[in-house]
Amino acid sequence: MSDLRKDAPDDVDLGRVWISVAAQVWRRQPGWLERTTGRLLRSPGLARALLTTPSLLLPWLLASVVVLAAGAAATTDSGQPLVALLAPAVAAAAIAYSYGPGIDPAWELACSMAVSDRMVLLVRALAVFAVNAVLGLAASAVSASGAAAAVTFGWLIPMTAVCAFALAVATVARSANAGAAAGVAAWLIIVLSGRVASGQFAAAVTDTVLFLPYLAIGAGCVAVALYATRIPRGTL
Amino acid sequence: MNVEITDLTRRFGRNQAVAGVSLQAGPGVFGLLGPNGAGKTTLLRMMATVIPPTTGRLRLLDRDPGAYGPRREVRRRLGYLPQNLGYYPGFTVAEFVEYFALLKEMPAARVPAAVATAVERVDLGGMARAKLRTLSGGMLRRVGIAQAIVNEPELLLLDEPTAGLDPEQRVRFRALLREFGQRATVVVSTHLVEDVGAACSQVALMDQGKVVFDGTPGELTARGTEQGTGDAPLERGYTAVLAAARA
Repeated sequence: MSDLRKDAPDDVDLGRVWISVAAQVWRRQPGWLERTTGRLLRSPGLARALLTTPSLLLPWLLASVVVLAAGAAATTDSGQPLVALLAPAVAAAAIAYSYGPGIDPAWELACSMAVSDRMVLLVRALAVFAVNAVLGLAASAVSASGAAAAVTFGWLIPMTAVCAFALAVATVARSANAGAAAGVAAWLIIVLSGRVASGQFAAAVTDTVLFLPYLAIGAGCVAVALYATRIPRGTL
Repeated sequence: MNVEITDLTRRFGRNQAVAGVSLQAGPGVFGLLGPNGAGKTTLLRMMATVIPPTTGRLRLLDRDPGAYGPRREVRRRLGYLPQNLGYYPGFTVAEFVEYFALLKEMPAARVPAAVATAVERVDLGGMARAKLRTLSGGMLRRVGIAQAIVNEPELLLLDEPTAGLDPEQRVRFRALLREFGQRATVVVSTHLVEDVGAACSQVALMDQGKVVFDGTPGELTARGTEQGTGDAPLERGYTAVLAAARA
């Protein structure tokens, strides 16, 4: 490098040239899913954390398997919708556990980052339920038994709506704690309201009238979260 | 002042790790000295917004990191190297540095050049595409420094940054510290007094959760002229101040 510097014209900054070359050579090309997620979330960092953090991928998949397997078991074997009310906590715990000092080796560093670790957790929770809701819808379309539809509409869609609501509150209030508290409170209110209206705790996941509102709330809250997290055009 | 700390405490159960620390630091390299268990790492973790203080007032870059919005702003301008750097073994050096650049919310278009600059600054250009699991301890330390400086931080917090570095790398690292100290506040926690003497313009000495000395390296050296043990003048000042504090 020093020989090159000696031979280079005075007006050429070889260091700057090398940095430009190295930036292109070392540049990682994100896949289409990461690019799309980054645009949707208005945050390339959040998209990267959501999709590529190695220690989080396995728990992500495990959470999905737990949601679908436990849901299917709850509706086909026991026929007890109350299980559906409680079981999402298992998936939520799996998601929560996927983001902590016990699993993530870079946890200490992540705690000092501008992209909040709890925001990553909320987005991850929403992603788990939303992806599984889509899977459930697809399964419902091809299945004749009705079990997949019961899981999808009685469980995944309500939980997706709750997670979307928590995410929206978190982004608007700029506090992940506020979002998580709002999500839990909203679910409790829905369950208790169902109990008062119909006399059944499980009404929140069995009353078909609620499915469309759940979908509308989910879509609306995602829109609010996207608006609240937008960043200026051209910086992505 | 980029760092303003007033009566800061931090308690872990019954253990008082930091017991009423007050410090101020502007641009320059600030050395945080002290024996093991003195509270340096806990103080640095509070400054890195990783853990909140139990009591006291902390202002970073003229913001209160206790609130979400200001904390996020501080974190965008912060560089932090923890004592134990956790890493993803399957990431390459460049991927690891890029990952944290994105989490610091750097504009994506600026990230590739910033990553290349940071990796070159720590002299790891030749290993940029090497997996982290293949690197030595000293190289991993330099990767940690690269992720800390990738966003050109206004506040750079380094916990035992020279641990594992060979002498040549330590000399280069001190030069890097002085360079950053021209425009940013650099806080270096260490128990190696020679690092402080070579790179720091201000130094605080902690013991049992308290600051027992705050001044320049020259003033610390002067405290060891009549008493204190050690091979170097700064070491004698260090041991003399500690002995006086414990007397």
